[in-house]
Amino acid sequence: MTPEELKKKVLDSQFWRSMFRGGAWKDTPRDRAQHILGNVWLHLHPGRVRKNSLRWNYTFGLGGLAFLLFLILTVTGVLLMFYYRPSVDLAYRDMKDLEYAVSVGAFLRAMHRWSAHAMVLIVILHMVRVFLTASYKTPREFNWMVGVVLLVLTLLLSFTGYLLPWDQLALWAVTVGTNMGAASPLLGSEGPFSIVSRSNDIRFVLLGGSAVGANTLIRFYVLHCVFVPVVAGALMIVHFWRIRKDTFSGPPITPQELPHDKVDTWPHLVVREYIGAIGCMIVISLWSLLQKAPLEEMANPTVTPNPSKAPWYFTGLQELLVYFDPWIAGVVLPTVIMIGLMAIPYLDPDKDKGVGRYSFRERPLAMTYFLFGVGMWFSLIFIGSFLRGPNWDIYWPWESWFIHKPPPPHTWSLPLGWGLAAVGGYFIIGMALPLLLKPEFEWQKALRNGFLVILGLAAVVRICTHLLWEQILWFVIFGYTFYLLGVLVPRRHLVNQSKVRYAISMVLVLLMLGVLMKMGVRLGFHIKYVLTLPQFQLNI
Amino acid sequence: MTDTAPQHNVVNQEISRRSFLKLGWGAFLGFLAASAGATLRFIFPNVLYEPPQTFKAGKPEEYPLGVSTRWTKEQRVWIVRVQDGIYVLWARCTHLGCTPNWFQAENRFRCPCHGSNYTPAGDVIAGPAPKPLYRCAVRLLPSGDLLVDKSVLEDRPGLRDKPQFFVKV
Repeated sequence: MTPEELKKKVLDSQFWRSMFRGGAWKDTPRDRAQHILGNVWLHLHPGRVRKNSLRWNYTFGLGGLAFLLFLILTVTGVLLMFYYRPSVDLAYRDMKDLEYAVSVGAFLRAMHRWSAHAMVLIVILHMVRVFLTASYKTPREFNWMVGVVLLVLTLLLSFTGYLLPWDQLALWAVTVGTNMGAASPLLGSEGPFSIVSRSNDIRFVLLGGSAVGANTLIRFYVLHCVFVPVVAGALMIVHFWRIRKDTFSGPPITPQELPHDKVDTWPHLVVREYIGAIGCMIVISLWSLLQKAPLEEMANPTVTPNPSKAPWYFTGLQELLVYFDPWIAGVVLPTVIMIGLMAIPYLDPDKDKGVGRYSFRERPLAMTYFLFGVGMWFSLIFIGSFLRGPNWDIYWPWESWFIHKPPPPHTWSLPLGWGLAAVGGYFIIGMALPLLLKPEFEWQKALRNGFLVILGLAAVVRICTHLLWEQILWFVIFGYTFYLLGVLVPRRHLVNQSKVRYAISMVLVLLMLGVLMKMGVRLGFHIKYVLTLPQFQLNI
Repeated sequence: MTDTAPQHNVVNQEISRRSFLKLGWGAFLGFLAASAGATLRFIFPNVLYEPPQTFKAGKPEEYPLGVSTRWTKEQRVWIVRVQDGIYVLWARCTHLGCTPNWFQAENRFRCPCHGSNYTPAGDVIAGPAPKPLYRCAVRLLPSGDLLVDKSVLEDRPGLRDKPQFFVKV
């Protein structure tokens, strides 16, 4: 019997055909569709897909890779659970055992850790890709929102995971993270308008006590291994099902192109998925063989490492916390970012424009703000990861951490009246300015004239006050950024929107630029709070 | 056939479909709310097994003028001796709870997590911390030892200088 005959005999056997629906395999289009639709694992795919969505440089396979990494994390995570005991006395010892005494333990732990890092990165890149190709537009708005929640859950999975090794990073990251809970408005004991105490606020629930300890470890263990993965899994099902029902996004096509637009999912899409999966597995495996997962000293609740840095995906948040009170940086801003991201499909005025391609020209408004926001976030991550040293001072990468920097200068806050005027004026003038200027204007000329006006203002400020040249430079840079993104872009693209849409979009724009402005006044002028009401623990 | 049955209006009153559903849904929603409330209550522990918050810190004479880091690693406090007495600072940054370090040369506490700076009195000079460092209750035992209680804390100027948080020497 030749191998061909054997293969045919096996495929046509009663046993094989009872397992795989669809009868004898004749490799017709019908067979190929049946192969997808009749298989529980593959049936989330459509029978046929648009050619456009198969181009590797369209999706880069990022969504699929994120799911693959979730699967790798599930498998490696379940294996690690066989050796790990979530108790304060045992957890760190079990990590050491996994590193040095368990066969393949160090590799599995490394793979779990690096896959987690990779998953965060891939999920962020996936979101950026979906944005750039306008794939969130009708009918996919809801799925974009589900995606934003999945991004948050991915970050939560990482966050709940890194308490488990019970090392120094674990303890202090979770101390900082849960203290942000205590800074929540109303429900945190240290937040503005607090209605709770230290022993019944959000932090107390998260910690299961008043400090990171045994209760916290078991809580985070349950959240990490059961609760968050189950919620994320459920939302993934919704996410994939909606992709299937809404179809893959792509550029509009003419009726003449329509019959030639689709190809069979089997083998075209499935093969690409396998290639992506194999490539990803190879990279992650090699990386995990060469690079051990970091494990710091055992958790010590009295001594904080100096500097104490979060993993890269949280150093942006850590850097933001330097400039704002915890209730703003840790609670309000992340919430606004999340809501702002979810609102994008409903606020974007360029309906149906630019779907299925990377085009800045077709939707300059959405692209400008999204790219600016992502750029800002990664700049914060860069500063936090590479430019911060002992005592959280600024160190250039070539400077030695052993030579400590001089301590930072004293900060000061604006008096209440000035603070109210500054914050109120920022939002009122900011909202009104694009509306007051005439909507038709020459872009180049406005760019140049604005620059000249700001330079002129800077010269006046320099003459009338004793500000340093460095501070004048801050003034020019941040002033011009505000002029460009807070005045010119809205004036060109937002003023023609309905009042409600303009108001919501503009508030989000002003909040984003406000973050930058607050950083500017701290860095340039050492202003701690622009507006402060200590009796309500409300500081901005 | 004559209607001989007595009229019991209240008993025989028909329950309308609307009122039945109202009651049913009401009971169901009430059950859901009670379940949610019970679950919420469940996740707040009633008994904590945490280390004791009081300790003996030795005799006041053992502390020369200035900030002592003797108990930082063990008890997470600094004992500060000033001209007329002693107070105890809880070594927990009021920003997000890291342990700051004491720098003698700069005469400051500096936090490694987000860069908050404090004076030896505990007041914020730089960085994001919203409040001064907490002071712990401290008193002199008959044996002459200092007894520090980390569960009683105060950070407000004026109140923190009360005898409860300050031992005259």
